[in-house]
Amino acid sequence: MNTYDVIVIGTGAGGGMAIKTLCEAGLKVCALNAGLQLEPAKDFREHKLPYDMKFRGFGSPQQQAQSLGYMDSEYVASDAWEHEIAYTTTEGTHWTWPRSNAVGGKTNFWGRSAARMSQIDFKAASRDGYDVDWPISYEEIAPYYKRVEEFIGVASTIQNRPSNPDGSYLPPMRFRCMDYILQAGAQKLDIPYLPDRMAQLTQAHNGHPPCHYCGNCTEGCDVGAFFSSPYFLLPLAQATGNLDLRTNAIAREILVDEDGRAKGVAYVERESRRELEVYAKVIVVAASCITTAQIMLNSRSRHWPAGIANFSGQLGKNLCDHLYGTSGYGYMPQLLGQPSFPDNVTAGTVAWLPRWQNLQNPREEKFIRGYSFYPGGGCDIFPGFYDDIEGYGASYRSEIKRRYPTPVSLTVQAPSQRSDHNYVDIDPVKKDVFGIPQVRVSFQWDDNTLKMWNHSTEVCKALFSAMGAVYQGHSEPQSPGWSLHETGTCRMGNDPAHFVTNRFGQSHDVPNLYACDASVFLNCTDKTTTLSILAFSLRTSEYIVDKFKTGDLASGAPIQS
Amino acid sequence: MAGQGPSRRELIQAMTIAAAASTFGGFARWNFAHAESMAHHEQDSAIKPLVRPVYTPHFFTPSEYRTVDELSELILPAVSVSAASKTTNARSVRQPGARDVGVAEFIDFTVFSEPALQPRFRDGLRWLDQAAAPASSFISLSAEQQHAILNRLAYAKYHRKSEAPGQQFFILMRRYTVMGFYTTREGLESLDFPGLTFYSTSPGCTHPDNPEHSGL
Repeated sequence: MNTYDVIVIGTGAGGGMAIKTLCEAGLKVCALNAGLQLEPAKDFREHKLPYDMKFRGFGSPQQQAQSLGYMDSEYVASDAWEHEIAYTTTEGTHWTWPRSNAVGGKTNFWGRSAARMSQIDFKAASRDGYDVDWPISYEEIAPYYKRVEEFIGVASTIQNRPSNPDGSYLPPMRFRCMDYILQAGAQKLDIPYLPDRMAQLTQAHNGHPPCHYCGNCTEGCDVGAFFSSPYFLLPLAQATGNLDLRTNAIAREILVDEDGRAKGVAYVERESRRELEVYAKVIVVAASCITTAQIMLNSRSRHWPAGIANFSGQLGKNLCDHLYGTSGYGYMPQLLGQPSFPDNVTAGTVAWLPRWQNLQNPREEKFIRGYSFYPGGGCDIFPGFYDDIEGYGASYRSEIKRRYPTPVSLTVQAPSQRSDHNYVDIDPVKKDVFGIPQVRVSFQWDDNTLKMWNHSTEVCKALFSAMGAVYQGHSEPQSPGWSLHETGTCRMGNDPAHFVTNRFGQSHDVPNLYACDASVFLNCTDKTTTLSILAFSLRTSEYIVDKFKTGDLASGAPIQS
Repeated sequence: MAGQGPSRRELIQAMTIAAAASTFGGFARWNFAHAESMAHHEQDSAIKPLVRPVYTPHFFTPSEYRTVDELSELILPAVSVSAASKTTNARSVRQPGARDVGVAEFIDFTVFSEPALQPRFRDGLRWLDQAAAPASSFISLSAEQQHAILNRLAYAKYHRKSEAPGQQFFILMRRYTVMGFYTTREGLESLDFPGLTFYSTSPGCTHPDNPEHSGL
């Protein structure tokens, strides 16, 4: 059988949720995944320590030559990260883009911060006059957030923040020494310092075991103690008997029928390089923001000379991303010489400093919208501060030990805003080894984002002073792409002339074509994307199920203001 | 989000090794760095002592290698620390140094694997030997004389303008010594690295009643 009800391209947060929802509704689903199926026991090495590896975790020379850094390391099977499918950038664009195309994609390795977006985000344009509102309200998406949180398990607390709606939470992780010190400093500046929303299980949940705090989550969790598509979604889909999962299947283009409607997908088998086709009544693209646009832009036909469903001309445009960078780092003298403490066994964000800017008045700062911070520090796997200490010998050793509990830093998560300069298109010449025309990224940080960055570095100086820490400096912003939070290439909106998809992620032009990833988001807000991808994908998937029930696959959605 | 914990990421970025190590023959000492416990075992039982293979440097000449080994131990020497034991008396415990855990092997293999590092180490070691003049080499100096040179390189107050290349080599040598040492079990244990175990609940601060942690 090579004809299905639905083809889903991608198996990450968006694809995985669609696959589960559609299969459980009794639909026959073919899932195409560009990479391999990981075997956690073999491919995740999160319980290994540096000395277990030939290059001590620094990576082999080959890895270093090819790698984009990041989680693509000796701690993970090299096939977990993409090294074959190439992309290009326009001149002047520095785009750093580690991609995981393994089954489950980036959910295998994600940072697990899982905050809801809010009405302040969805109606930001109405507040400050920049760009356009999302075509949905918070009330509309809130029930889906709740169901997703209750399904995946998110540890946090009720916080009553205007831009951060509260949800259904497991008990939070406990504050460490540095959290109390940071919080005491933040309070003096009237900045919030609170438990993060972490999709990491502080107790057993829905058949998944609790976290055992080994501390290397971003190398993959082989017990599945945090949400990932392969542990939480795909097994439920497989259990229905309705899923045909094809791995190492690289989608090349969406095929259309005589009327220009989607009828199937042409893909390349990674190993054999064979080109195959598969057919369905409905196509869901969830290949992650940029690859989704690439597949659609590469789907050119008599009907769609500029890419399928691109009547608006907006396909691939409006790319946004989070600026990451260390806005301040230093150390906490209060903790000099203190016993070593397991500060990093939760692998990251026990706490966060959620957006506090431009909440009462959308124009109170020199920039619009807002950013958040993630603190880090404490006893880590490597004493990276060694160059701060003068000397050598026994005294040098003992000073390293004394300083060991004290490092502290803040990572900023600052959203870029929509800009005509930031987009993806198809490189006119270059193809990858599979013969697929490469996607080309064009991206610069906009002035607003850089103003946020400058603001964040000043806040850090004040915060370090308020908490009694020694401020040592800040990094430069990471190059774009690094956060892996791209949004916007298939933005949703009510007007087919200006938006690729409607408010359900359904193509305006090709009603049996849907996008179920962050490509439909209007911008990236100050929150992370995964929880929202899950909520929006759940909503879209149930909308598709309803379409099948009514047999009405050819119509769009009624406009709702 | 994609992973906020910056440390390992930065750690990985800290090095860019550019070439393949196709003829790697294995290590002698740091593969056996866990063997201290094995040593006790050997004494207690009839098990034959493990024969440690002799490490043959891949990049350094024998004399360079001896200098690297010597420098690594000078930078991170074995030390005696008082450990408050469960019984009342504090006792002195020997913590292994760079030589015990084979830091020189790590450095040789790393430099062998990364051509860009090779001239920096080779030139630096040559500089050090020249600084030892009229003695023939750094390693032939007395401990006192070695410290006199290293102090000039390591501490800003003793820096000499003419010795900038030596100062840069010292920073490089110290960096790779730290990398080679604190990535061994012994190195991590000397920090009481708390990630060598699992926890049933998320570990929390033990003095929440003192949020500013003053006067600990």
